Amino acid sequence: MDMKQPPASLSYGATAVMVGAAGLVGLFVAPRWGVASVDLLFLPAVLAAATLFGRRPAVFAALLSALAYNYLFVSPIHSLRVDRLNDLVTIAVLLAVALVVSHLAAAMRSQAQLAAAAAARNATIAGLAGKLLSARIVEDIAEVATHELAALFECNATMLAPGSDGFEILAREPAGNPLTPSDVAAATIALDTGEPAGRGAPRLNPADWLFYPVRREHAGLAAIGLARDDGGRPVDDARRPLLENLLDQVALAMARVVLEREVQSVAGLRERDRLRSALLSSVGHDLRTPLTAIVAAAAELNTRSCPPELVATIEAEADTLRRYIDNLLGMARIEADGVRVHREPIDLVDAVGAAVHDLRGRLGGRIVQIDLPPDLPLVRADPNLLHHMLINLFDNAVRHGGDTLHIAGLANGSDVELVIEDDGPGLPEEGGATLTRFGRIAGSDRTGGAGLGFAIVRGFAEAMGVAVEASNRTDRPGARFALHFADTTPIAGKDDAGCAT
Amino acid sequence: MPAAPPKLLVVEDDQQIAALLRSTLTRAGYKVVEARDGRAALSAREIDRPDLILLDLGLPDHDGLDLIGQLRGEPATRIIIVSAREATEQKVTALDLGADDYVTKPFDTGELLARIRAALRQKLASETERQVVQANEIRIDLLLRTVTRDGAAVHLTPKEYALLAELAKWPGRVLTHKHLLSTVWGPAQAGQTEYLRVAMRALRQKLEATPSQPTLLINEPGVGYRFLAEA
Repeated sequence: MDMKQPPASLSYGATAVMVGAAGLVGLFVAPRWGVASVDLLFLPAVLAAATLFGRRPAVFAALLSALAYNYLFVSPIHSLRVDRLNDLVTIAVLLAVALVVSHLAAAMRSQAQLAAAAAARNATIAGLAGKLLSARIVEDIAEVATHELAALFECNATMLAPGSDGFEILAREPAGNPLTPSDVAAATIALDTGEPAGRGAPRLNPADWLFYPVRREHAGLAAIGLARDDGGRPVDDARRPLLENLLDQVALAMARVVLEREVQSVAGLRERDRLRSALLSSVGHDLRTPLTAIVAAAAELNTRSCPPELVATIEAEADTLRRYIDNLLGMARIEADGVRVHREPIDLVDAVGAAVHDLRGRLGGRIVQIDLPPDLPLVRADPNLLHHMLINLFDNAVRHGGDTLHIAGLANGSDVELVIEDDGPGLPEEGGATLTRFGRIAGSDRTGGAGLGFAIVRGFAEAMGVAVEASNRTDRPGARFALHFADTTPIAGKDDAGCAT
Repeated sequence: MPAAPPKLLVVEDDQQIAALLRSTLTRAGYKVVEARDGRAALSAREIDRPDLILLDLGLPDHDGLDLIGQLRGEPATRIIIVSAREATEQKVTALDLGADDYVTKPFDTGELLARIRAALRQKLASETERQVVQANEIRIDLLLRTVTRDGAAVHLTPKEYALLAELAKWPGRVLTHKHLLSTVWGPAQAGQTEYLRVAMRALRQKLEATPSQPTLLINEPGVGYRFLAEA
């Protein structure tokens, strides 16, 4: 805060008294030790005037000292005439030194004043920052901010922030009437333009409050309104920088609160994902263990000459159950966004072979025709997801198809297409649809586990960036599924050391 | 004097499955010892000295993967882990940690017995030098470094031969992609799966009856390759 300047009359009066005192001391000293150093006795008075009262009284002290010295000690004494030239020089030097001293001392004084003002300002800012630290929500920030600003600038304060419908009043000091539409308009202008708006601002506005924006990195976070009951300017220009600094502190606090909330929600999400993963693994284990026992027991039955059809039923249904469990868990993973894709170069010969091997029971006596050309490019995909997809597609073809399953790989420029065709009745009327409208397919004959199977195929395909198409064959009745792989690696042109030939 | 039947340690915490495994394996001619958890497994290994350990990775008191190192011991006991089908990372880690092979739950009895045979065969093989591997019409002479098909010589590039030889040294057993790449192309190429795929294509073209439906050189998705021979 600024140091209050003492009234002018007191300054000059006290200065005159001090100069007078210096003169009296000189009169006492002169008869005993000579006149020679009496002039220097006036310097303390000048210094005191400079330090206590500032520049102008110091200059006054310097002039007065020169005159007093002339009058009291320079012959002819008790007159302002000067007889000897060296006395005139002495007076001139006294005046000069006094002026220099007064200048220096006054400069030091004003610097000290500035430093004190800056320290006081920083203390205020730090005080507000400290009080804002404990605020955890925006409403608390508003309470502290309005309370402190109102006390500091001795006016009323209010803080508004943009809410879900228009502005919300976060806090008012003192609590009072609601704001008028002009007030809200002024707050909006302040927030949008970054300039104060409202009563007394350059853009005239019939508002009661003068609103200052609270901004951080060019984004308007809130508006703080100040008003005096007597209608005067709440913050004068001298204290404007202080207000700006305080508003910055409020903006910082608001940004911090937002970040804290985000960190908490991220931590919450991570924990939820972790729990979900653990749950899925545990459920998977718990479901598969009894199933394993059933399958193993059925295998045992087989060898002890029980009716083979019964054993076949147990094995087939256990197999179906296993596939349902795999699909359910896969679906849960997709919905929890827990599908992790590990891409690697895959030879479709391997992928098709593994799926056919796993389904060998169900494929039974059917004809499986596999056409994969020797130079078919490798596809980059996740081996697990692809395996799961193929199992569902082959299983579906077998369940609703006829006796033949035809799997073919084609190269289309740098893309690879894997086509799976059966010779069953085909997809229902809307069969020309792609699997993005799988809902219709799910409502058809091909329901039961197939609906879930298609959902798996679509979900995993999306996760890997593979396009899936479902349609009917054109050469004969039957369904046709095609997987399009765009991420491929060519085989031709590389020798087995992996170098291009 | 007939050799004693191989002794198998089954580490499985589910009662039903353990009982079924015991009866299946006993009927196949093995001697079976059981353990319900990790601690029992470790002590059974010391006391019973099994030839092969069947380890279920979902054990209650231990993380199964940790047990692999401890169960292997010196001289190394063969280990086959039992795991879920989509847990490929777990399988690869287990193989890297020293497991010899894996079966997935629910298991196919035929596959289980074949893999036990393959893993036990290693034990015999390391005691007598393995030189010739025969798989149907394919004959691989590891000493002379020749490969014939129906008696006719098959020409393989050096890398193709190295890959085939490594697989043939462990017939019936799975070898991870990383292991094959490191062994044939060097450790720096351990991530270059394309090299492996290209070489496999070539081998299948030259050795398989129907290259697009291999019966000899089988891939385990996400894990590795297996040379399916009962030699």
